[in-house]
Parts: sequence; structure tokens; C-alpha cells
Amino acid sequence: MGTAALALKDLWPCFEGIIPATIATCAKDGTPNISYVSQVHYVDPEHVAISFQFFNKTRKNIAEHPFASVMVLDPRAMQAYRLSLTYERSESSGPLFQAMSLQLQAIASHAGMSDVFRLRAADIYAVRHIERVDGFTSWPVPAQDERPPSLFIDPNLHALRVVAEQLNRAECLGELLETALRCLDEFFGLHHTMLLLVDEKRRTLQTIASHGYDENGVGSEVGFGEGLIGMVAAAKLPLRLSGLDHTLRYARAVRDRAQALSGPEALCREIPLPGLSNASTQIAVPLIIRHRCLGVLVAESLEPLTLLIREEAVMAIVAGHLAAGIEQSAQEADDSVAVEAPAAAAPPVHSPLSHRSFCFYQADDCIFVDGEYLIKNVPGRILWRILKQHQDEHRVEFTNRELRMDSWLGLPELKDNFETRLILLRKRLEQKCPDVRLVPRGRGRFALETSVKIILSEKPA
Amino acid sequence: MIPPAIVDLLQTGVSVNVGTRDKNFMPECTRGWGIWVAANRTTVTLLLTEPASARTLANLRDNGLMAITCSRPTDHVTCQLKGSVTQIRQATPQDYERQQQWRHAFLGELIAVGVPAEQTDALIMQPAVAIEMQVTGVFAQTPGPGAGEQV
Repeated sequence: MGTAALALKDLWPCFEGIIPATIATCAKDGTPNISYVSQVHYVDPEHVAISFQFFNKTRKNIAEHPFASVMVLDPRAMQAYRLSLTYERSESSGPLFQAMSLQLQAIASHAGMSDVFRLRAADIYAVRHIERVDGFTSWPVPAQDERPPSLFIDPNLHALRVVAEQLNRAECLGELLETALRCLDEFFGLHHTMLLLVDEKRRTLQTIASHGYDENGVGSEVGFGEGLIGMVAAAKLPLRLSGLDHTLRYARAVRDRAQALSGPEALCREIPLPGLSNASTQIAVPLIIRHRCLGVLVAESLEPLTLLIREEAVMAIVAGHLAAGIEQSAQEADDSVAVEAPAAAAPPVHSPLSHRSFCFYQADDCIFVDGEYLIKNVPGRILWRILKQHQDEHRVEFTNRELRMDSWLGLPELKDNFETRLILLRKRLEQKCPDVRLVPRGRGRFALETSVKIILSEKPA
Repeated sequence: MIPPAIVDLLQTGVSVNVGTRDKNFMPECTRGWGIWVAANRTTVTLLLTEPASARTLANLRDNGLMAITCSRPTDHVTCQLKGSVTQIRQATPQDYERQQQWRHAFLGELIAVGVPAEQTDALIMQPAVAIEMQVTGVFAQTPGPGAGEQV
């Protein structure tokens, strides 16, 4: 028998359901049984799945004696293969079951039999042995494809598909950004990433999300053309730097710039950019949509030769998804839609403090909390408006719409990036005073939740 | 006795699938190349090839228990016959003549469902071993809720 080192994946054309397979089983009294199965599904290199639709003799036999012999045919040459199987388990939920069930429903629907055909379970079998049936056909055995067969796609491509699906499921911009950075870590091993968005008016990039750093650095800024990140934003081209002197590795230009501006007063209003002080490789790719750069996605690694062209390609694809998502959220109607609060929302924080003192500096729209820099510019004004209305009118719930229409906030009429400013504000609050929170109440609405007394003061210009 | 409807079905170029088991009850499947019903309607003859069905033939010599599922490719009308083998012998010229009739109908069915003729022609059906089986059970096996019921 032609059994020399056959792997299950070599049989990929047999699993396309073109020629029905047969399954032989044996009852506990020794009576053999043979029946058709519509499709044998590839699960992994050691397992196949067979659909369980009806309580039949095969099913009964397998319950009594969990062994089966299955014959599958390669439709390219009518070449037969015999699989020796041992039943392991049945799945009646999960991705494999769903995929098999949908396929069956589609076939049943075609045949007008939707009520009759229903997948009860995906029965998983371990493959003990694979054998090419010799003397079956005089047709030559098809050569193994040089290309990876369509059934067994490149793992990176599969991962990209999963990531794309997860990104498209994100309900709001904040979730989209978090999902992107988490997925880059989970699926592609990019443990340290950050995302900066362009503020076109101020010609800066601001950190809106980060992953894998001790300090999230949200709110930190880099100027256009400054350092790796600023250069990527200005050039609208990806850049990969390896083995550089560490002073060049990431945009510490931020700090230098801050010091150059006006000494310690300015410095204390700068948030340090997140970053690995000893990173050896860095990649930055721009978020481009219709030739505009919306931001920069950055990854860093301590290990040399870990961020290469593959990682750059993955990041470029994810950056494209992010650009589309960010653009869409900027254009989305303001209609507030009540949806369930995201599961990720943290429980209310019980602060050991009794109060928080917020001070608003009118000169530069900057807010300090308990003497520490919190936020400035438009997000600073947004927070001040919310805090004032909370204090003066005891308001708790706010809508994006009302704030967008508030001329004091100084938002541009078009593409105001309100959502990104709110994310920034939310994250700065999480970091600096977690007992004052802006909690989403559905799309376009949020609430101010606090467990402390809020004290407000202003410093005139 | 095999019902007339099943006798008719078996004359229409059905695919022939054979299930057996060894002394440890380990099942084995293979393909048969031709089937016909004896005049008494209680036995069937089918042909197997030695290289493709070595373990099946060993199982039959060991315990003689066999299940045969026959299906018409163009409409999936399917039945299963169960029974015990009464004879295993080399195929005769008369067997090959019957096989030729079945082959003509079977290849016609395969071509009708889209298998290229040059592939159907390449299937190796000879030299064959003839198996005679006393039928003890006939079951409807057309896919669907009624599958498995005794006819």
C-alpha cells in the first residue's frame, strides 16, 4: 500500500466535498456498517470532523465502539485514500461547528430542505493512519502543489483575517484602537505598540492608545517631522529602524523640544512619550486614507531582528483598517444610540480620597488635578465644560452632539475628531484620577461618574 | 428476499461500497466494482480487486460479515445490504460480462455528475475476486431522516 509519509494536509482536495466519502463502523455484536458522509472536514494535522445530522447506525456504532474506516477520493484523479479513525468528541458550538452548520444549512436551503437538515454536532476523530489505496486507478497521482493549498492558508494570512474581523466588530472608536493593539500583540507578537493621531491644526501627533508599556503615555505629543514618528507622518511612508544608537530610537525629541520651549513650567505640561528606553528596533507606519495621514502606528522591540518586513506589512494592513475606522467615526452622525455599556468597562472606583481639586488655566486651556498636569487644549476645554455643568447644574449625562455644538470648545466645523479627543480625555482621567470617570452610555452619550467631591478653580490668563 | 425496487436500483449503475471488520472488530471500507442480484433474490455477487481490497478480503475470509452500500450518483438513492459471505472465488468470464454491463451504467452515472471520462476509464476493476453474499437485511439509506430503516 502507498503509505509513505502521507500527511493529512496532502489530502486537501479530498476535503472539498466534491466526491462523497464513505465510513465503515462496527456494532458491538460485530456487524459491520457502511454509509456515506457528505463531507469530511480537515480540523488540524491529526484530526478530521464528520457531520452528525441524524441518529443513525454509524452514530450508534461509534458510541459503542469508537473506531471507523473512512474512504475519501481526490476529485482531480479519482484517487482513493483510506483513513483509520478513532472518535474523540462531539462539538455542538464553536467556530468549527458554526462553519459546518452554515455549510449544511446552505445546501439544505438549496434543496428546499431547511427544516430537515440540521447539524447536531461536529464529530471529531483522531486520524490514526492514512493510506493511499493502490490499484484503484491507473491515472497518475497528482503532484503536490508547490503553492500552499487553499485549504491550508499561510498562518499569517489566517491571523490577518481574524484580526480584520475583530477590528470590524468594534462598536466604537475606543474599542477599535484597543483591539488593534491587542491583536498585534496576540497574533503577531508585537508586544509594545502605540498609536498617535494627527492634530492637523496644531501640526502635532498625539498618543491616543498604547500597549505593553508601564506608562500609557496617552496625550504625549510629537511634532510633524520630529523623530521617527514625526518623520513618518510628514513623509506618509513607513519606516523601519534597527540597531540604532538608542538616543535615536524613538522620539525623545519631545522632551528636548519641551525643554527648549520655556523651561520647567512647559516641561511639566508634557507627557512623556511611551517607549522602551533600550529598544533596539522600531517600526512606524502611517495611517493613510485618501492621501491624508491620520496618524502613525508604532511598534518597538528589545530584540534585534524581530521587527522585519513581515511585521511592517502586518502593521501597514492594520493601519489601513484603523485609518478607515477613524475616518468613519469622524463622519458618523451624532445620533446617540443607547447600546449596552461595553463589557470592558471597569467597575466604579472607590477612592481613598474625599475630594479632587481641578484647576483650569485660561491662558492655555490647561487643567491640573491636585497640582498635577492632566490635560490641555480642546480635551481640556471639554473636561472643564463637563465639570462646570456637573457642579452648576448637577448634570451627569452628556451627549457628543451638544458638546460638538458648543462654540466655546473651539472644535473645527468639519472633522472635529471629537471622539478621539474624548478617548484621550477618558484615558488621562483613568491614569491621573481614576475616581472621576467618563463612562460610555451608548454611541454618542456618556456619563460623568465620580466617588469624590469635585472642587473647581480657575486661573485667569 | 430483496424487494423488487432494490433489485431495480442495483441495475442502474450504482456505486458499490463495502464495509467489513477484522477479528478485533476494527472496521475497513473499500469499493466494489460491480454488483448483481441472483435470480432467487436472496444472494448478491460483487467484485473486488485484490490490491485495493486486501484487508477486506482477509476480513471476509476470517468472519464473512459484510455490509454493502449502493448509491446512484445522479440522485443519491441509496440502500444498504447486510449479510454473510457464502463464497469467495476468482471472477469468471461470466462475472466479467455482468461487470461490463454494470460498468457501462456506472461510468455513465459518473460522467453525468461531472467526472471526466478519461478519469472514469482509468478506474482499475480487473482482475477481480467475486464475492457471493447471502442477504440478511436490506436498509433504506437515501440521505435524510428515513435513512437506516429496514426495507
